[in-house]
Amino acid sequence: MKLLTKTMKNLAVAAVATAMIASAASAADKLKIGFIYPSPVGDVGWAYQLDEGRKKIEAMFGDQVETVVVENVPEGPDAARIMNQMASTGAGMIMIGSFGYMNDGLKLAAQKPDINFIHASGYKTAKNFGTFLTRNYESAYAAGMAAGYASKSNTLGVVAAYAIPEVVGIINAFTLGAQKTNPDTTVKVVWLNSWFNPSKAQESAKSLIAQSADVIFSLYQDTPSVVSVAEAEGVYVVNTSSDMKKYAPTKLLASMTIDWGPHFIKQVKADLDGTFEGTSYWGGMADGAVGLSSLNDDLTAEQKGDIQSVMDDIAAGSFHPYDGPITGQDGSEKIAAGETIEDGALLGIDWLVAGVETKLPN
Amino acid sequence: MTATIIFILAGTLAATVPLLLAAMGELVAEKSGMLNLGVEGMMAVGAAAGFVTVALTGSHALGLLIGGLAALLLSGVFAILSIFFMANQVAAGLAIGILGLGVSAGIGKNYEGTTVAPMPKLPFGSLGELPIIGPALFSHDVMVYLAIAAAFVVWFVLQRTKLGLIIRAVGESPQSAHSLGYPVALIRTACILFGGAMAGIGGAYLSTAYTPLWADGMVAGRGWIVVALVVFGTWIVPRVTLGAYLFGAISLLELSIQGLGLNVPSQLLSASPYIVTIIVLVVISRNPALIQLNSPMSLGQTYRPKG
Repeated sequence: MKLLTKTMKNLAVAAVATAMIASAASAADKLKIGFIYPSPVGDVGWAYQLDEGRKKIEAMFGDQVETVVVENVPEGPDAARIMNQMASTGAGMIMIGSFGYMNDGLKLAAQKPDINFIHASGYKTAKNFGTFLTRNYESAYAAGMAAGYASKSNTLGVVAAYAIPEVVGIINAFTLGAQKTNPDTTVKVVWLNSWFNPSKAQESAKSLIAQSADVIFSLYQDTPSVVSVAEAEGVYVVNTSSDMKKYAPTKLLASMTIDWGPHFIKQVKADLDGTFEGTSYWGGMADGAVGLSSLNDDLTAEQKGDIQSVMDDIAAGSFHPYDGPITGQDGSEKIAAGETIEDGALLGIDWLVAGVETKLPN
Repeated sequence: MTATIIFILAGTLAATVPLLLAAMGELVAEKSGMLNLGVEGMMAVGAAAGFVTVALTGSHALGLLIGGLAALLLSGVFAILSIFFMANQVAAGLAIGILGLGVSAGIGKNYEGTTVAPMPKLPFGSLGELPIIGPALFSHDVMVYLAIAAAFVVWFVLQRTKLGLIIRAVGESPQSAHSLGYPVALIRTACILFGGAMAGIGGAYLSTAYTPLWADGMVAGRGWIVVALVVFGTWIVPRVTLGAYLFGAISLLELSIQGLGLNVPSQLLSASPYIVTIIVLVVISRNPALIQLNSPMSLGQTYRPKG
């Protein structure tokens, strides 16, 4: 039913998109860049951050480029249709902002070698099809340090959507960061098993607070549901993607932010110069793609300094959140002392570290 | 542990409000023989209109009112299609459900991801300070209690008043009711509009009190749960009410169990509210004679007045 609903809604979206794209097609010799987002742009969240990247392209290249946006496009045939429309109405570059757009994008990229694609959070590439990800586990580690300092109950709560490797990798890093500043920290997780249900996210946060969690981690929740309930209940909160200070002015401990601007600008420049190559980009603190914002002033200057120096070490490459020794939830040694995790293993991570109380669903 | 018990008790009362209000509306509409499957869309329109109203005026009462009115208008479209143009009810209901989701996205477009202040709690004074009972039962906004009152009123009207008898008669046999001189189309329209208003108020409660924010799609399937509750509760008000509270309680219990770190797959836990509610309602309603007695015989059938 949900699918049917989405389909009907997006017939309308597609019709509007066609009109928009057609009307824009007259402007020649500018590089036209299409953007497809899986959700509405709104004030915060995933699509908002992608759109901030788009704005940075416009600010950087001005009249050289023209951007076209279609938001709230479900993965599947609708996405394919909108991509095709963009391609057939003169787009020279297309940014596809959801994992599930990957195969449709690749198919189109093979048909249209003169159009360059950049794709969010995928794992396949082609000559004219690049993918981009962020090392959110880096900022999760720093946010975890803040949570370790702030927690009095030594219990942290995570509200997460699904147990996919990226989310698992972030929860581990958050836990390791918290244990660095507070070795007794334990972490409880609630899996929503739903990408989008703000009310359930809020209920989950309340259930974790009832189980004595005094810092809540709102992991990939696109709405401020968890953040605002934490403010109302008087517990600290950490969130992903966008700065959510305005939804929790006193209780936001830190926001893990993403900045796509530098990568997008580099890709557009490559397209304009004719040097575009489909690469797999995994941006971290080193290139400013991820970071922390709005660190709470309840943390002491010394604590903030410690967090900053670890972030500096991560950016410099002298420290990795997964530097061993790391013990798994089952008590076995996952990473030996002196070793660290390979990128490939991190992309497919399927184990939790010791200190996380909740099991992985399997 | 105490905190978790309070969380589940208090949370259940609040979580159930949107379901219970919408279910009472749908139950009345179905009792008159009209199967409106557009509850999800009506709740979404109510949620969007209610949210925008509260964002603009700050008045939660006005938000609930406008939310109810917006969904009432949408249910009016269903009434026109299914009663006056005699369209298939399933198709018309699905159509307005989809229409409602689209309209709600349009209404809320400029408010995506924004929040409002939640509805204020009723002052209970010292009652609210009782251990466990205080925070569990006396820490709520007025709608938590009004929803229970609404269920009682619906039960009373359907079972104990002449109006209820007429509605049920129309649902059982519109032909007979028509022969007796009752305006079948008018009564059915009124029941549909009541159902729309209740779904809208439920939706508005969701977006302005329970989770005071707007996000496209935030009703997240609750409208479908409502339709299921009415059917599995065999159109009996106390059972539908029980089903709604049971669903609310289990969906919160599920989250608490996850936090405890028990070795139960979370997918199974996430499905548990649906499974348990359906099993319980099916078991208590397994008497075929009782189902026969309570299900509106003309449900979903288009009525063409003869002679």
